[in-house]
Amino acid sequence: MTALKPGAGGARTGGRTLLPARGTRTLRNTGIYLAACVFVGFSLFPLYVIAVTALKSEHDIFAWPPVWWFEPTLEHFYNAIFVFGAGNAVAFLVNSIIVTVVSTVLAIVLGAMAAYGLARIPFRGNKALAIWMLSTRMAPPVAFVVPIYMLFEKAGILDTHFALVVIYTGMNLSFVTWVLRGFFADIPVELEEAALVDGYTRTQFFWRVAVPLVRPGLAATGILSAIFAWNELLYAVILTTREAMTLPIYLSSFHALLSIDWGEFMAVAVLAILPIMAFTLAVQRYLVRGLTFGAVR
Amino acid sequence: MSRIEFIGVSKIYADGTPAVRELDLAIEDNEFLCLLGPSGCGKSSTVRMLAGLESVSRGAIHLDGRRINELPPQHRNAAMVFENYALYPHLNVYNNLAMPLRAQGMRRAEIDDKVRAAADLLRISDLLRKRPGQLSGGEKQRVGIGRAIVRHPAMFLMDEPLGHLEAYLRVEFRAEIRRLHEQLGVTTIYVTHDQEEAAATADRIAIMRSGSLQQVGTIEDLMDRPCNRFVGEFIGEIPMNFLSSRVTGSDGSAAVQIGGTAFVPDARVRRALGRIRGQELALGIRAEDVQLANALDGEGLPASIAVVEPQGERTVVIVDTEADRVTCVVASDEMPAPGEHVRVLLDMSRAHLFDHSGTNVLESEPA
Repeated sequence: MTALKPGAGGARTGGRTLLPARGTRTLRNTGIYLAACVFVGFSLFPLYVIAVTALKSEHDIFAWPPVWWFEPTLEHFYNAIFVFGAGNAVAFLVNSIIVTVVSTVLAIVLGAMAAYGLARIPFRGNKALAIWMLSTRMAPPVAFVVPIYMLFEKAGILDTHFALVVIYTGMNLSFVTWVLRGFFADIPVELEEAALVDGYTRTQFFWRVAVPLVRPGLAATGILSAIFAWNELLYAVILTTREAMTLPIYLSSFHALLSIDWGEFMAVAVLAILPIMAFTLAVQRYLVRGLTFGAVR
Repeated sequence: MSRIEFIGVSKIYADGTPAVRELDLAIEDNEFLCLLGPSGCGKSSTVRMLAGLESVSRGAIHLDGRRINELPPQHRNAAMVFENYALYPHLNVYNNLAMPLRAQGMRRAEIDDKVRAAADLLRISDLLRKRPGQLSGGEKQRVGIGRAIVRHPAMFLMDEPLGHLEAYLRVEFRAEIRRLHEQLGVTTIYVTHDQEEAAATADRIAIMRSGSLQQVGTIEDLMDRPCNRFVGEFIGEIPMNFLSSRVTGSDGSAAVQIGGTAFVPDARVRRALGRIRGQELALGIRAEDVQLANALDGEGLPASIAVVEPQGERTVVIVDTEADRVTCVVASDEMPAPGEHVRVLLDMSRAHLFDHSGTNVLESEPA
C-alpha cells in the first residue's frame, strides 16, 4: 500500500479520484470510530445502570447526585432469590431456560431439516410452500392469542412448558427455515454429489457435511430464536398463570406494586439478562462468514 | 474386475434437452477411456449417469454384466474427481481422504494406513492437517484425486479434472494420472475437451458430438482413420484441410478432380471410388500431408501463399488454391514469402474422402 501513489486509496472512476486521499481518509475513519464509541456507550448505559443499581445499597440507589463509587452489596440478589415470594424468581428463571432451550433447539433442528428440503429437493409447490411458511410470520401474534388460548384450554395444556414451547417453536420455525434455506442453497451441489459417490446417503450428507457448513446460519438463527423466546411476553402472560410463568412476566409484575423495589427489580433484571447475554456471546464466534471457502475453485 | 457397458443409453433432461442419444459403448476392465468432445456434447452427462448422479432416460448401463440403472450412487463403488474439486471445506485434508473409508465403516487403524498410503502416493503427506481453503488449485486437485484412490473403487470417474488448473500443471497432472492408472489398474473414464490430455492419458478415446458417439479408438485410429468430417476436423492440432472435389473416370482410370487438377488415387482410394462415382466430395487431408512444390513444376494444384506463421522449428503456411484455402506445414528453413506462386502436392495415400453427409467413404463398409 505504501508504494501506491497519493490518492490511490480512494475509489476511482475513469481515472478520477472521487474520495479524498489517504490522509483525509484516516481522519474520516477516526471520526467514524468516535461516533461508534459514543453510540455504543449510549446503548450500553442502561445496562450499566441496571447492573449498578442491583449492586448498590438502598441508600446509594437514591443518592443525589448519583454515586459512582460505592461499596457493592449482594443483598438485593439475596432478597430477590430467597426472600421475595420464597424462591419464585429462581423457578421463573428455570421456566424461562427450559422453554427457551427446548423451543430453540426444536426450531433449529426442524428448521434446518425443512430448509434443506426446500433448498435442495425440487418438488411440486416447493416455492409456494416456502412463501407460505414465511407468510405465517406476517400476521400479528396478538390476532391469534384468543383462539390459541381457547384451543389450549380445551387441550388442557394451559400453564405448562409444553404450551409455550409449541408456540415459540412455531413462531421461530418459519424464520429459521427461511434463513437457513439460503445457507443450504449456497452449498455447492458438487459437494453433495461427492458425498453420494463417496458412499453417503443424503441424510448422512445432511448431518456430516451440510449442517457443519451452515453453522454460521445455525448460530445466527439460534441467537435470534433464543432471544425471541426469552423475551416473549404476550403469549406467556395469557397462557401461563403460575407453574410455567417465565421471567419477563415476573419482571413486569414489579410495576404493579405500590412502590417499586428498585434494588430487587434490578437484581431480577440482571438474572434475566445474564443467561441470554452469555449464550449470545458464546455462540457469536460461529457467526463467521465463508465457511464454504475452499470447497470449489 | 469391472467392465462397463452402455446399451442404447439416452439422457433427456426434464426440459426436453436430449444430452445423450442412443449410446452404445463398452469399456473393458482396467481400461482408460477418454470421453472427448466440445462442450455440450453429452460427455459429462454420460459419466454422471454412470456415477448415478443422473437418471438414465432410456437404455441400460451394465457393470460386470449387471444392470445398475436403479442402483443409488453410494452403492456403485465409483470414485469421482470433479472439475472444481468438491472437497469438504470444513474438514482437513486427512479427514477429506478418510470420508469415503468412514462411509464403509472401516476401522480407525485401517483408515489411517490407507489415508497415509494415498497421501504418499500423491505427495500430499505434508498437507494432511490443512483445510482445503489453505491449498492451491493444484494441491486441491491432488487431494481430490487422493480421495478417489484411497479406497479401491470399481471405477474412477474424472469429469474434466484438470479444467481449472493452469497449463503447466495440466501437463504435469496428466502424466501423473496416467502413472496412477498404470499403478492401480482401475477402469477409468475421463472426460475432457482437450485432445492433448486425451491423447496423453487414454488407451482409447470416444469422441462425442451433440449427444452422439462419433468414433471410438486410439489416438492413431482417430488421426489416421476419422469416420467422419467432424472427427477429422476436431482431432489434430491443425484442423484438417477440406477441398471440394469430384470423382471422374471409372474403375481403372478413376481420379479425384480438384478444380482443374486431377489426382490419381492409390489402390485404397480407388477401391472406394467405384461406389461413389460422380459425387461431389470433400477431400480431407492433414497439413502434414500437404507439400509445397515449385510453381514451375507440372504437378499439383496451382496456389499462392496467403499467410506465413513461423512457429519455431516449423512454419505453418496457408495457401489459396483456385477453390479452397489449404494449410500446410513446412520446415522453417524453407519458409516461402507471401504472394509467392507455388504448387500444392497432396499425399493421396493419406487423404480421406467425405460425402455430403460427412461420412468418410474410405472408412465405411460398402453398402
